[in-house]
Amino acid sequence: MAKQFIKGNEAVVKGAILAGCQAYYGYPITPASEIAEAAAYYLPLLGRTFLQAESEIGAINMVYGAASAGIRVMTASSSPGISLKQEGISYAAGAELSCVVVDITRGGPGLGNIAPEQSDYNQMVKGGGHGNYKLIVLAPNCAQEMCDLTMHAFDLADRYRTPVVVMADGFVGQMMEPVEFPAPVVDLPPKPWATAGTPETYKNLITSIDLEPDDLERHINHLYAKYAEIEANEVRYEEYMVDDADLVCIGFGVVSRILQSGIERVRAEGKKVGLLRPITLWPFPEKRLARLADEGKKLLVMEMNKGMMVDDVRLAVQHRVPVGFYGRVGGNVPSGREVYDQIMLHLEAV
Amino acid sequence: MNASMYKSAVKPTWCPGCGDFGVLAGITQALAEMGWEPENVVAVSGIGCSSRFPFFLSTYGFHSIHGRAVPVAIGMRIARPDLKVVVFGGDGDGFAIGGGHFLHGARRNVDVTYVIMDNHIYGLTKGQTSPTSDLKFKTKSTPYGSVEPPINPVQIAICSGATYVARGFAGDPKGLKDLFVRGMRHKGFALIDVLSPCVTYNRVDTFKSFKERIAAIPADHDRADLSAALTLATDPERFFTGVLFEIQRPVFEDRVEALKGYSDRSWIEVVEDVFDSMS
Repeated sequence: MAKQFIKGNEAVVKGAILAGCQAYYGYPITPASEIAEAAAYYLPLLGRTFLQAESEIGAINMVYGAASAGIRVMTASSSPGISLKQEGISYAAGAELSCVVVDITRGGPGLGNIAPEQSDYNQMVKGGGHGNYKLIVLAPNCAQEMCDLTMHAFDLADRYRTPVVVMADGFVGQMMEPVEFPAPVVDLPPKPWATAGTPETYKNLITSIDLEPDDLERHINHLYAKYAEIEANEVRYEEYMVDDADLVCIGFGVVSRILQSGIERVRAEGKKVGLLRPITLWPFPEKRLARLADEGKKLLVMEMNKGMMVDDVRLAVQHRVPVGFYGRVGGNVPSGREVYDQIMLHLEAV
Repeated sequence: MNASMYKSAVKPTWCPGCGDFGVLAGITQALAEMGWEPENVVAVSGIGCSSRFPFFLSTYGFHSIHGRAVPVAIGMRIARPDLKVVVFGGDGDGFAIGGGHFLHGARRNVDVTYVIMDNHIYGLTKGQTSPTSDLKFKTKSTPYGSVEPPINPVQIAICSGATYVARGFAGDPKGLKDLFVRGMRHKGFALIDVLSPCVTYNRVDTFKSFKERIAAIPADHDRADLSAALTLATDPERFFTGVLFEIQRPVFEDRVEALKGYSDRSWIEVVEDVFDSMS
């Protein structure tokens, strides 16, 4: 397939198609609507299904029903729409159903605005719904990764029987970049727990209820054993010039792209600065961060929120090294100049 | 096929004398009469006393989310159009928290059978007013009497686009069985609203009081006549039981299927064409 110059949001749908996603249920919301529109255009051409649901809640529950039938299925929305879907996500985590939820984040709280923010970090990474559960959260920073990580999300969802989130700020969703398409996934794993329509499985019951405290505790412990396995195997991050750095900047999504430009500029002036970009926000690269603290590197976290991921960074390094923070909100994206100034400011404080 | 093979080993959690036992008897008999293999049936429910239904059936079961049984059933139907889906729930689940979804399931004419166990009360949460509770009805959440008039499930179903609408009574399992069978045979959104008394938290709407208000639908009623159906559905005194409304209209699943482009080639070849055509 030829390389294409497309929006991140369209790359999500093409990745989903290549991953074998059979159905998409969604509801219009800016800045995520291109995902629903691309799904509405492509899926029927491939003999698959797109449906505009009556609400965000309707959409996540259609996903819940389709996931129980064992097919690969997804929905996408933006921040306020994701708030509405949290109930369904909690139930899917409890009932151990595989599905993919894409969040193209915008400004909040409330209606906020439609400009990019990263203030959904807590509602996705810390679990915005009720109960003891975790979500795998993947954070692409370019259109290519919107495709690749969406495909990866479907694999992880099936492997661990859990909802998986692809979370990108509105900037990454709207940005157009060249995308090369990986090979389509042809072998999908069997799902003997689903409504398979076979005499061996018809007693399968999908539920998230456990009325006896001991039963529910056992179930939650089972979920957390699974989460420990995910933490051991699925952490992903990218580094840039970290080895000799005195200061390591940490950012995800579009912030990581701006940080990289800033670091290149500062490096040209002979200053030793590097970048660590978490690709999985959960599981979080906390062990790598702890090692950076062991080496005495100073850290500077930059986010498009009032400081959310920075809490996880501080936990990982246990206050052994200084952790600086710089955030912009309201849909403002830090400029190259701002990033440069912040890096210089924090370097001088070394 | 006999009714007992559709019963699971789980003993129903309902209170002794609950109307839902009559619905369970009617459903298992209806499934036996339809002759559906258990592996071809999915019981989907929301949350509530009546939504425990999937636990008591020996078919696929999906005990989903409060109010969300209809969208869950839509997702299931589209993923597996070969499986029969029967949806179970109560009046609160279906018409309060799930009211919005109900309208859209009906207008889409999704091919499911939806059995509402309508007891005019919230039972699982121990007795609060429901959307079908009568005006002035006293409950724990309306200690001075309800200030809201009830909604009428069969009226809403007819007006929203459901293509099979019936009302039944839990005190008549044989009659229920017939309504269920007819609803299961019907291709389209089939709603059966069953007056199913809560013997613990509703001392007003009882087997006795329902029975006094029940009337058979006149033999000459034209089930395809929407106005006639609404007249019977909204009678202020009597609960007309039987099939109020029944028409044929294309179902959602067939419309979705008709959109799909088919090809003899592998889907990967089709993907390449589709992607490249847009580059």
